[in-house]
Amino acid sequence: MSTTARPAARALLSGDEAIARGAFEAGVRVATAYPGTPSTEILEALVACPGVRAQWAPNEKVALEVAIGASLAGARAIASMKHVGLNVASDPLMTASYVGVRGGLVIVTADDPGMFSSQNEQDNRHYARLAKVPMLEPSDSQEAKDFTIAAFELSEQFDTPVLVRITTRVAHSNSLVELGERAEHEPTGFVCEPAKTVMVPGNARRRHELVEARTEQLAEYAEHCPFNRIEKGDRRIGVIVSGVAHQYVKEAKPRASILKLGLTHPLPRKLIRQFAKSVEKLYVVEELDPYLEDQIKAMGIKLAHGPSRPRTGELNPDLVAGFLGARKRAGRAPAAGLPPRPPALCPGCGHRALLTVLKRLKVFVSGDIGCYTLGVQPPLQTMDTCICMGAAIGVAHGVEKATGRTGDMVAVIGDSTFIHSGITPLIDCVYNQSSTTVIILDNETVAMTGHQNHPGTGKTAAGEPTNRLVLEELCRAVGVRNVSVVDPYDLKQTEAVVKEALAAREPSVIIARRRCVLLDRDRVRHPYRVETERCVGCGRCLMHGCPAIADRTPEGSRKKQVAIVPELCAGCGVCAEICPSGAISEVRQ
Amino acid sequence: MSRVTNIAIAGVGGQGIILASDIIAEAALWAGFDVKKNEVHGMAQRGGSVVSEIRFGRRVHSPLIPDGEVDVLVALELLEGLRHVHRLRKDGLVIADDLRLDPAVRPPGAPPYPDDVVKRLRASAERVVLVPAGELAGRAGNARAANTVLMGVLSRHLELPIEAWKGSLQACLRPSLVEVNLKAFELGRRRRAA
Repeated sequence: MSTTARPAARALLSGDEAIARGAFEAGVRVATAYPGTPSTEILEALVACPGVRAQWAPNEKVALEVAIGASLAGARAIASMKHVGLNVASDPLMTASYVGVRGGLVIVTADDPGMFSSQNEQDNRHYARLAKVPMLEPSDSQEAKDFTIAAFELSEQFDTPVLVRITTRVAHSNSLVELGERAEHEPTGFVCEPAKTVMVPGNARRRHELVEARTEQLAEYAEHCPFNRIEKGDRRIGVIVSGVAHQYVKEAKPRASILKLGLTHPLPRKLIRQFAKSVEKLYVVEELDPYLEDQIKAMGIKLAHGPSRPRTGELNPDLVAGFLGARKRAGRAPAAGLPPRPPALCPGCGHRALLTVLKRLKVFVSGDIGCYTLGVQPPLQTMDTCICMGAAIGVAHGVEKATGRTGDMVAVIGDSTFIHSGITPLIDCVYNQSSTTVIILDNETVAMTGHQNHPGTGKTAAGEPTNRLVLEELCRAVGVRNVSVVDPYDLKQTEAVVKEALAAREPSVIIARRRCVLLDRDRVRHPYRVETERCVGCGRCLMHGCPAIADRTPEGSRKKQVAIVPELCAGCGVCAEICPSGAISEVRQ
Repeated sequence: MSRVTNIAIAGVGGQGIILASDIIAEAALWAGFDVKKNEVHGMAQRGGSVVSEIRFGRRVHSPLIPDGEVDVLVALELLEGLRHVHRLRKDGLVIADDLRLDPAVRPPGAPPYPDDVVKRLRASAERVVLVPAGELAGRAGNARAANTVLMGVLSRHLELPIEAWKGSLQACLRPSLVEVNLKAFELGRRRRAA
């Protein structure tokens, strides 16, 4: 069902797959990305497309810079990322706006209202205004494909990068898409033109003026852009809407008059005024920030509603129905008193073993973004901070500089996260002489987003062998003298190495290397079992939160009773190491 | 069929919920309907609660099902069925695997797994079909095909031709898994309503 080279009539595609399909049909040559929910599948779908060089970058900034280079060489290029990824790529974005393009340059930002898998729910529509680049907001998969193709054309027509902004419910909803043929765009090659491509102040001043003129031309274009359209309906209620919220409005108030905005920067002011005049009550329906609302109010247009719409979380048909005063079905209350089921580290996960050691040592853990962030939950509860990709090391360094505290603090960071943005803070530790202990949780993949390759895996996005970044060599090269590699399944050795690093008065790096257990499914595993006669009921094996260990303690009993579920057990043996009475052993046939 | 048909699939990350929703969506597409489907990826998986929604009909707008409009709730686990049963229409149907999976993480103060989960499920919906899906899947040759067994049960309650389901199974599965899943589907489809 993913994008295929051979066009079928139509297919059921996710928004991500549809964007990939659009880029493919538009003749994109270079596609770059860093994995991040809900954007990951865009690049994954492009890897399968012939004629497209699709590759994972170490981070979003590099991804965008590579795409800029490809564009300046005359090729159509796309860089895709999650909303927080655009923060990382915002530096090149701001100046790419001045430089413009040669081949069409499209940047996809996939926002995550409701934070299904993110650390914040920032509204990236603001980036379009900040960077002064046009922005398209598709509302389903067909539009995701059509808008992507149009984005390349707009990019070349107006000499600007174009932002395509989607949200989780567009990215991960599937709907029907008409498929077309690929139109090849041969790269013209790089042409030397420093006034356009070398942004020293003298050149940038002139380019900035062009950017302002471009925005005015785009505003004129927005008035007759086919993606901004009025759907005439009941004159008594008019709704201005963009993105997936359009579908919710159609669901909640099928007969309302709608101004559906596809190009949301710059806004079609005349069209908005004309629409506002044509209806009695005017509503703006949008997720997160009042991005449209503020601009429309600033035009002096009166809305029928106050700031009653939720500014947090995602919208849904019921919220929109309530907001528009539509008849709401009496919803039933959810069942009360149910235990929650939060996600958990998998049975056999090497992260759990490492975090078990850190819990035992009672250290402050400066955390980062990845599966291991789940360590914040009970029973492990070994995560004291989590800010953004790569922050673990800098934050730990900062705590030490502020308090002089050493010897009871570690930074934990995944292999891919370390490559993404953990290298520079490690250099800072060496340069500014902290004694930070950095533990790289190396599971040899980007696990959380669905197992993508990265420079440390030695494989490309397509799975082809390539040069492998050796983490221990890199850490030594930046000046860390204490670099060790441990297998986190070996709790004793891991604990000894961590203690040694904590005692050192200089930075240390410990690489806790254990391949993600989900990638090792074919490995022969012997489950473990609990010998009831030897079990003393201390419950220590329950304290590392393995889903395969079931608490079977009867109500009111102090002595714990546990059992290992053989279907879930990955055979890592960590619980056997934890057990003080030798009651857990491997089942050998 | 002028009205949109709404199906929600609830379960635990890793049980094959996305695959099950792919199978329904492809079958509806095969039968010529407009289809929308949404699902949750990323951190929400990893053994956590997962729900996926499929809507089909002549024209579908929202990918999310409005509250109280779920026609069929397919539960791959009992507690997850109970968690979403309030979204069912008054005359809606629950098709549930009779499987009980305790949450891997029990935060302090969290209530225990409700022992009366089946009773509560039956009290919340007029029609509840319990299926020993794991056992039937095992009989078909792969215990992990419980999701396909439930698709077989579901197929008797939707107006989609059998060719649509078979074509969909072939389109959604790796060739090596098609045979065992067709068997699992048949066992579900032929099962008498409880």
